[in-house]
Amino acid sequence: MKKILLSFFVALAGFAAHAQETTLAPDQNPRYAESRDRYIKAQDQLLVNMNTTVQQTYKAYDWYEAKQERKLQRYNDRRERRLLRAQYGNFYSPYDNNYYSPYRYAPGFRRNGWRRGW
Amino acid sequence: MKSIFLYATAAILLVTTACSRKVTRIDPVDTPDISGKWNNTDSRLTAEELTSQILTEKWIGDYVQAKGKKPVVIVGMVTNKSHEHIEAETFMKDLERSFITSSKIGLVQSGKKREELRAEKADQQTNASVSTMKKFGLENGADFILQGSINSIVDAYKRKKTVTYQVNLELTNIETNEVVWIGEKKIAKNVKN
Repeated sequence: MKKILLSFFVALAGFAAHAQETTLAPDQNPRYAESRDRYIKAQDQLLVNMNTTVQQTYKAYDWYEAKQERKLQRYNDRRERRLLRAQYGNFYSPYDNNYYSPYRYAPGFRRNGWRRGW
Repeated sequence: MKSIFLYATAAILLVTTACSRKVTRIDPVDTPDISGKWNNTDSRLTAEELTSQILTEKWIGDYVQAKGKKPVVIVGMVTNKSHEHIEAETFMKDLERSFITSSKIGLVQSGKKREELRAEKADQQTNASVSTMKKFGLENGADFILQGSINSIVDAYKRKKTVTYQVNLELTNIETNEVVWIGEKKIAKNVKN
């Protein structure tokens, strides 16, 4: 008898808990649990940017800044060309190409494979 | 020998003093415009404007009348869609501070700080004494979320440039999705290089 009563109360408590979970507030959407479960799964990803500034900046065209950038680019290009010319000779000149360059690459010749003059 | 030493010392002193960097303290309110980009003054003006708007508009009164308690706000994400790197935290913190000092709006922690709080609470579950251990599931739920965006418009030709920043903050009721307040601050600048 005791066992029957105990199992009855346990079943009653389980039913009450389930009923409490499924009881809807006035005007509440009956399918609210679908949305709740979906967002519970995704909440970590969705809340990762809370209280932060997400930087989605763009590059605005500024005539003066663009001019300065072009100037800097020209300077860097010239510098790079100068360095390459010093290392490999003048590739751009028909009279000072790699073959005739005094600094041309000649593997196995003198030190580091680089030779000076003929 | 003495004169050589004297001259050397004088020369070293001259060189070091001539090359030394000079730093002076200035009032944060009087931050000068140097490059024309977003600076401390813009942040301060935005904070002042938005603070006065959010604390004086009628959404607080409406909520208190309906619910009988002060609204609780959580700070969400601010998206910077302008052409410059702008950290919104500088003016958002001023705004949050005004919520607390005015006592009109409650504020709950969000983001990484909230994660840290929960981690500390989790740590207490196994390390703190039972009488001092803080329980899970008793956090104060926010009624509203504050979200924002920063936009800019740039018009430049030759050495002249005009930049307009628009900062918008929106306060939305979390339960109903109703937007109860939108704050706006526009800052326009004329820059000549």
